[in-house]
Amino acid sequence: MILIGILVTLLGFVISVLSLALNSVGARMVVVLLGLAVSLFGIIGVLNKAYLKNAIWKKGVRQG
Amino acid sequence: MNTMTKRLPTFLLATLCLAPLGFAQAPAATPAGAPAAAAPATPTPKPITDADLANAPVPAADARAKGDPDGALTGSASDITVTDTKKGITIGDLANQVGQNKIAINFVWTLVTGFLVMFMQAGFAIVETGLCRAKNANHTMMMNFMVYGVGMLAYWLIGFTIQMGGVGAVANLGSTPVLSGEYTITLFGKPFGLFGMNGLFLMHRGTYDVAVMVLFLFQMVFMDTTTTIVTGSACERWKYAAFIISTFFLGAFTYPIFANWAWGGGWLANLGANFGLGKGYCDFAGSGVVHSVGGVTALAVSMILGPRIGKYTREGKSNAILAHDIVIVLTGCFILAFGWFGFNPGSTLGASGNGALRIGSIATNTMLAGMAGSFGAMLYMWLRYGKPDASMSGNGLLAGLVAITAPSGFVNPVASVIIGLIAGVLVCISVEFIDRILKVDDPVGAISVHGANGLWGVLSIGFFADGKSNYGGSWNGVTGSVTGIFYGDNGGQLVAQLLGIVTLLGFVFTLSFVFNLLVDWMVGQRVSAKSELQGLDLPEMGALGYPEFELKSEV
Repeated sequence: MILIGILVTLLGFVISVLSLALNSVGARMVVVLLGLAVSLFGIIGVLNKAYLKNAIWKKGVRQG
Repeated sequence: MNTMTKRLPTFLLATLCLAPLGFAQAPAATPAGAPAAAAPATPTPKPITDADLANAPVPAADARAKGDPDGALTGSASDITVTDTKKGITIGDLANQVGQNKIAINFVWTLVTGFLVMFMQAGFAIVETGLCRAKNANHTMMMNFMVYGVGMLAYWLIGFTIQMGGVGAVANLGSTPVLSGEYTITLFGKPFGLFGMNGLFLMHRGTYDVAVMVLFLFQMVFMDTTTTIVTGSACERWKYAAFIISTFFLGAFTYPIFANWAWGGGWLANLGANFGLGKGYCDFAGSGVVHSVGGVTALAVSMILGPRIGKYTREGKSNAILAHDIVIVLTGCFILAFGWFGFNPGSTLGASGNGALRIGSIATNTMLAGMAGSFGAMLYMWLRYGKPDASMSGNGLLAGLVAITAPSGFVNPVASVIIGLIAGVLVCISVEFIDRILKVDDPVGAISVHGANGLWGVLSIGFFADGKSNYGGSWNGVTGSVTGIFYGDNGGQLVAQLLGIVTLLGFVFTLSFVFNLLVDWMVGQRVSAKSELQGLDLPEMGALGYPEFELKSEV
């Protein structure tokens, strides 16, 4: 899951850079926002979720 | 007419410099054939000659025998360096002195503001230490202390080269032609600058140069600000050895790469020149370059480290872990606000030259946004929780300052207050989101203060840049002033800013995450549970921060 999260996060950046191949400002804006959403999903939806699965507070370590 | 055109700049230069010496402007002459009743004629300038300069009144040699209490005799034409003592002072000597004075003003300005930024390390140190528990005071303080040296070493060895090795001429510092080695590739038919190549050890390829030294000092303290952001979010559980390696990598590679793209002549800065996106990615003093790079790296490290023991219940409910010294937290915030007067106005890299007098509005914008940020956070907390929370008010001040860092050179005072106010509220919402939804433990709120608000600052330029900030007629090689959509831009500037934001989240975060994951696999990022419960001062540093206090060993 961590590897997938890394790749998805990076993919968002690649998508945004590809927007430079377009000419219209509006189209570039849409593609960049799409890239932004993909990167955020990679960080929040995949990577963080993977870490929360094995979070220390779920393992029964003595809590305060 | 041609002769006059050629002589005019020399005349203006000489007049400007000699005015304090008492040289009078030639009386206005009426041009031949002009009607007598016409409006007052423009004075015809009389060129100043070497002979005029030779007769410049200077204090007699013994005039200062009794001192100069009012300063009227100190500093005169006799202080101008002459190239030929037999000929005496010439127009050429005068012009050279004026040029050197301009660069000297800019050197002093850049160095002194750099010293202010360096002092921010003290602010960060006590803010972070105050917000952690007393049992981790020595460890947190030591991280903040050594981040300065570790980051500087990395930056001197390689970081500066990557960031600024291809920046080209920095005019305000008298040009830096030796920094001309940018590695570029071609993408979509345009050059993409990726990293600089000149400047290793500040000796490589002629970089043993006074202007390069000034640039290095100023950029180094900015980089160190980035590294110290991470120590805040990772405190109370970060293994000291892992911190050293992680900080070195951040100072050597992660920060310099993005800083090159934004400030060193890289592809983000050239989005305007190459792709018609406004003036390219704009980040006046580093909301993105400094604060967001630190913020997203802090997020990566905090995710890998996991929350402190006791931060969350088994059901995932967040527990508040209280700061041990709110007095030094707010004192630290004041130190940081003071240092920010170096951070933003200093980013003009000069106080003399094209647009350099914008330092007045930049400093004021900085002050106003900080005020608005503290108000925003205080009012939000007061309305939501019934009390004006002290630590969040401090974070609100910092959030406002972080957010105005990128736009400070491009916006007006009203926009600064709006940007700061939004930042103050945003930092509170972001802290709640990261703490309760993402369940990422950030003891000092660094991800929200620097990461979220850094991104907001970058974005705000696309809206609020008012097109009045003319720094010599162009920015990032594109003619005109930086303008946002609220002031008539077609959205190209906003797209450039968004591209910067995605680069921070998609590239910089990933780079930081992968490297810190490698560190985790190699040496381990997190201390043992036993050390954490005891407090890191003894297990990691060998001495308590407060040896005369009796400290709780558990949460």
